[in-house]
Amino acid sequence: MTTVALDIDRMLDSLDRMASQRPVAARIVATINKESSGAAELAGVLGADVALAAKVMKLANSAYFGLSGKVTSLQFAVTVVGFNTVRSIATVALSGVDTANALPTGFWKTSMHLAAASGTLGQQFRVRTADAMCVGLLAQLGTALLHQADPQGYERVVLTTDLGAERFAAESCRYGLCGPQLTAEALQQWRFPADMVEALRAVQSGTEGALVRTAYELTARLVHPGHRYISLERLSGNRIAESQAVAKMAAIRADVQELRNALGL
Amino acid sequence: MADDRQRSDLLAERVAAAGWTFVGVPEDLSPSDLSWDGPRSMGIDGGAYPWSGLTSNGGVRRSPPTTDGSGARMTASATSPVDDARSRTSGREPRGVVAAVFHAAAAEPDVALLVVEPDKAKEPIILWTNPRTSELLGVASSDLVGEPLAQFVKGPDGVSLSTMLRRERRMTTSGTARTAVGETVACRVSATPAPDGRLWTLQVHHAHSDLELALRASADAHEYRFKVLAERSPVPTMMSEQGMRLGHANDALCALLGVTADKLVGTGWLDHAHRDDLERITQTVVAVLAGQEREIQARFVDADRRIHYTDMRFTPLHTPGAGDGFMATLEDVTERRAFEEQLNFQATHDSLTGLPRRSKLWDHITAAMADPAAGLACMFLDLDNFKMVNDTLGHKAGDALLVEIAHRLTGSLRPGDLVARFGGDEFVVVCGTGSLDAALEVADRIMRVLSDPVVLDGVEIHPRGSIGVVLRGPDHHTADDLIRDCDIAMYQAKSRGKGRIMVLDEGARNAVRESLTLVSDLRQAIDERQITLCYQPIMRYEGSTPVLASVEALARWHHPERGPIPADVFVRLAEEHGLVHDLGELVLDRACEALAEWQHVLGPLAPPRMNVNLSALQMSDYLLVQTVKRTLRRRGLRPDQLCLEITESALMKDPDAASTILTQLREHGVQVAIDDFGTGYSSLAYLRKLPVNYLKVDRSFVAELQDGHTAVAMAVISLAHSLGIGVVAEGVETASQMQILESMDCSLLQGFGLSQPLDEPDFVDWCRSGCPVWEGDTS
Repeated sequence: MTTVALDIDRMLDSLDRMASQRPVAARIVATINKESSGAAELAGVLGADVALAAKVMKLANSAYFGLSGKVTSLQFAVTVVGFNTVRSIATVALSGVDTANALPTGFWKTSMHLAAASGTLGQQFRVRTADAMCVGLLAQLGTALLHQADPQGYERVVLTTDLGAERFAAESCRYGLCGPQLTAEALQQWRFPADMVEALRAVQSGTEGALVRTAYELTARLVHPGHRYISLERLSGNRIAESQAVAKMAAIRADVQELRNALGL
Repeated sequence: MADDRQRSDLLAERVAAAGWTFVGVPEDLSPSDLSWDGPRSMGIDGGAYPWSGLTSNGGVRRSPPTTDGSGARMTASATSPVDDARSRTSGREPRGVVAAVFHAAAAEPDVALLVVEPDKAKEPIILWTNPRTSELLGVASSDLVGEPLAQFVKGPDGVSLSTMLRRERRMTTSGTARTAVGETVACRVSATPAPDGRLWTLQVHHAHSDLELALRASADAHEYRFKVLAERSPVPTMMSEQGMRLGHANDALCALLGVTADKLVGTGWLDHAHRDDLERITQTVVAVLAGQEREIQARFVDADRRIHYTDMRFTPLHTPGAGDGFMATLEDVTERRAFEEQLNFQATHDSLTGLPRRSKLWDHITAAMADPAAGLACMFLDLDNFKMVNDTLGHKAGDALLVEIAHRLTGSLRPGDLVARFGGDEFVVVCGTGSLDAALEVADRIMRVLSDPVVLDGVEIHPRGSIGVVLRGPDHHTADDLIRDCDIAMYQAKSRGKGRIMVLDEGARNAVRESLTLVSDLRQAIDERQITLCYQPIMRYEGSTPVLASVEALARWHHPERGPIPADVFVRLAEEHGLVHDLGELVLDRACEALAEWQHVLGPLAPPRMNVNLSALQMSDYLLVQTVKRTLRRRGLRPDQLCLEITESALMKDPDAASTILTQLREHGVQVAIDDFGTGYSSLAYLRKLPVNYLKVDRSFVAELQDGHTAVAMAVISLAHSLGIGVVAEGVETASQMQILESMDCSLLQGFGLSQPLDEPDFVDWCRSGCPVWEGDTS
């Protein structure tokens, strides 16, 4: 496959430029980065962006968090969904992918499945559900950037490769790094927690990447019927057994619906 | 040193090729500083070094290159340490500052540094390493320089790191380092490009530093202990990290609900919460997430659809910078609750019929009355002639009848109505309706099902009942009010002939209420011995001077508010409300006490005998004889000093029982008189058998004597004489009556004509003054 030299700096700079168009989202990311920040402060910032606040309220009141209709204040909503979730929603807005016209085929479908799958799997990888869900939600951000930089080439990658290891390899071969790794670079730039960054960075190998790898595999099984299965035991470092796959996939399916409704993505 | 020189030359060559200026060993370093393979063997002209500063986010911010086009020299940016050094050290050699910074970075003990140069055709080549690299890989620096990077450090999955050598920015990835002994060490590799994009500095960290490993091990151990504690705990425990989503469910919780943990984590556990309790659980969680501790009772449904009652105790869990969750323990109180419910059922339900008892009835009505607008109808049912069933067929049959009635009543109710056993053969039905027609419809239905025959011990019984109905009105403030009124209505139904339904009549209600109040007062008066006696002499006229033959004790009740209550009123109330035994015993005791006292104070002037009236109901009291004996003994009287009077009509209610009791009394020596004789329907055959000492001619026959109607009085007196028993004329008021009675050979007289009833002091005075009798009105 042809190698394409990507100017990652320029891509990340472009993200920064987009951030200036969503100042509230940028402030949210900055607020959460401060260790001293609390729910009240975050809710105060979030309240300035009606669309973002509505998304957080909707998610907090979704069946996903089990409190349908009970969350009436933004501050409470922030504590229910968790700071990282707020940050992730802000990051989606910050990156502009929520309003982007040109995205890789099946981008949101895959992202929602990854979010639900990661959330479902999180506990078995000792990652908080909401944090895991955030990793899944944002994992595809890098692919959106690759697609922006190389629309036709990346679309070919999508169409000719299986979601997961095969695509990571193809992306690495063409761009020098795969989509989740590019996401990791972006998240590092925004000072997301190191665990989240490493989980994406090690998507191809390494214990830190096992959660995302496994989430990609289950997503591929759900989204692409022709997907060639890879052993869950191998991908997850024996944390998830094949025998659990059916139950997990059922849970993911249910959560996808809830997340879609709540996030409107 | 030769190697050093060789490497130094190689690096100088490469650095020069990269557009840098290699200036050799700093002048201020001593020879000994050059004895190791390190950065101190090199010097870099700070002014020629295009410095890259780390941005605040850890990335690389390149200073704008200010090359002159040849790439030979570049000016430091405003943010460079060189520039800083120039501005702050004013005159000192900036390269010394640069060397110091470089030295500190190169000597960093936790980071392995490698300078590499990519090769288009091959793997990147190692140009320089720091001592930490040698420690990490176990290979001398001299053996690393010039070797392909992939021989020692690789990227994910063993791929080459060449793809991550980005000219534009610093990159980080996970990777592996292969040591001299073949061991593979997980590590994190960051590649920072030189400004010209020809050389890269790799920073290789252990994937986890010793401190990190120690902290993680400690945290893991801590978490493991907690996990074991939580998972092995016999207390079902759940833990949410955020909102209602469970992150953890322990073994005990799984066992309680009969499912595996993966069915409970997330929001799966909510599927097992009883749907009627889910809202309350959710509201509780909302409060807990806001930082409160809470306890609630909630039901959960296990995999076999069995309901478990639990006490849930919630504690908030706050994770700084993350969000709020909770921990909850569940105590399965199903068995305890079932036991408590059983006890409660037993306490609130009748063991024979299974119907609610009074307390439950009260609770039900009180709850219904909590809504001021709620319509409520209450019915009091009393079985007619139930006593007869008990008396004739036995209590077992009576119980069977009650069970059957309870069953029929339960079947007659509408949903939401209640039937309770009030006591004995009394039942109360409560209907949630404000419509009299609807209430009467239920009452009518009850009447119909009640009258279906029941076979008890082979005998067919047609039960009947009297029902009093009342609708809740403005005067009904409590359950007591409502039940009392339907009880009144039931008594109205009884008094009008039984077997009927009566709706409460307002006038009757007031009368009964007053009567009930009076009964309550009477009960108190008896308890406090407020019933007093007055005494009316019975005189014997045989000689020239009348002699005191006996004295009749007459009960009096002076109500503290209402004044004197007529004896016939309060005796009737006592008979109707079960107070007659206590009242009779009190009167008997006080009379005997008085006679004993008179004997003491009056001596021979005291009356020889005391007459005490018995109620009809006392004639069926088999304890009466014992009571009489005990009282006489206590007061020190002989039996013949007591004469018990029983009315003729009372005697004839149950002649056999009366005969038995009176015989026992007579055998003991107690005198017996039949009061008001001639007004009832005595069987002369019975009269002959009864152990009677006296007949008392009713005052109505005495009153008509002076009008010439002497036949009845004459007949009674003759009868007494014929039977060989004494005779007393009551109600003697005039001298002419006395004369006529004397002519009829009736020597024992009693009445206002002789003496009015006297209270005790007056009676004592009367005795002391020689029992002066007024001879009555001669008219």
